[in-house]
Amino acid sequence: MSGIQILLIGGVIAIFIYYIARFRNALADLIILGIFSAAAVFFILYPDETTVIANKLGVQRGADLLFYICILFFIFIIVKLYARIRRLESKLTEIIRQRAKDEAKKTE
Amino acid sequence: MPAAINHKDVFVVVPAYNEQTVIRDVVSELVDIGYTVVVVDDGSKTSPEPFLKGLPVYFLQHEINMGQGAALQTGIEFSREHHASYIITFDGDGQHNADDIKKLLEPLQTNEADFTLGSRFLKGAAHNMSGARKQTLQIAKFINYIFTGMRLTDAYNGMRALNPKASALVNIRENGMAHATELLTFIKKNKLRFQEVPVNIRYTEYSKNKGLTVWNGFRIFFDILLNKIFG
Repeated sequence: MSGIQILLIGGVIAIFIYYIARFRNALADLIILGIFSAAAVFFILYPDETTVIANKLGVQRGADLLFYICILFFIFIIVKLYARIRRLESKLTEIIRQRAKDEAKKTE
Repeated sequence: MPAAINHKDVFVVVPAYNEQTVIRDVVSELVDIGYTVVVVDDGSKTSPEPFLKGLPVYFLQHEINMGQGAALQTGIEFSREHHASYIITFDGDGQHNADDIKKLLEPLQTNEADFTLGSRFLKGAAHNMSGARKQTLQIAKFINYIFTGMRLTDAYNGMRALNPKASALVNIRENGMAHATELLTFIKKNKLRFQEVPVNIRYTEYSKNKGLTVWNGFRIFFDILLNKIFG
């Protein structure tokens, strides 16, 4: 096993443990995360397998395929986070507004 | 001529963010005419409250800075809850002229419109605007046109008047500058009758520094776009 493989597999395991310990989510989440982590470890150990899949999809190298998937994934994450920020901002605005109205003063 | 109006029933909403150097002059002018003034401080670094001493106005304060759109909505809701007959929005940086309010009110009083919008480019209005600022406003007008399909002579003029029908419906959700476009969408969606009215703009060194920049234009564009996507 090369240095980069050890580093990546260590990272995947660390994220997996952190996620379980931190969020204690439903079983379904755990299974999905488990499958993703296992797949990640598999492809780190046998990187040539990604090239086989890539070729089937019309991409030359496995690394390129991963790169494209990563871009899509990050755009998805940004969109999700942005939607959440907007929801939070709108709730915060409501609270601030209500307080401002409740504490309105008449200056003399 | 429209019927006489009780100035006390006209609520003028003045959003203020770090306007402490000019806010007293702006508010005094309005109080002298007899309007009910609602100052909404949008989380200024220095509270404008001490500068309003001796002036009978309602003072509301956002604890943190939420944006001009948010401040306007707070002021409008407050005025509505205090049974305002008409609600005016009026920038806190001193570029508007209090005497123009009666011109904005006329079409509402005669029941020709539900919503009036100030325009610095209509015949009868005066402004001393630089070329660069004119260009920025052209871009803003174009943005408004793309998103609302409404062709107005002015965009992002902070002076507006609403009758009770319009103010009951208004619900600004764009906290930032994009609220101006959102209000047009709102007029269109609710099929409100609107008119543009010539108003004078005073460009002082102070208000120029606070005004719309090209960068703001881009921000507004993306705010509206994202609002369309995320609702």
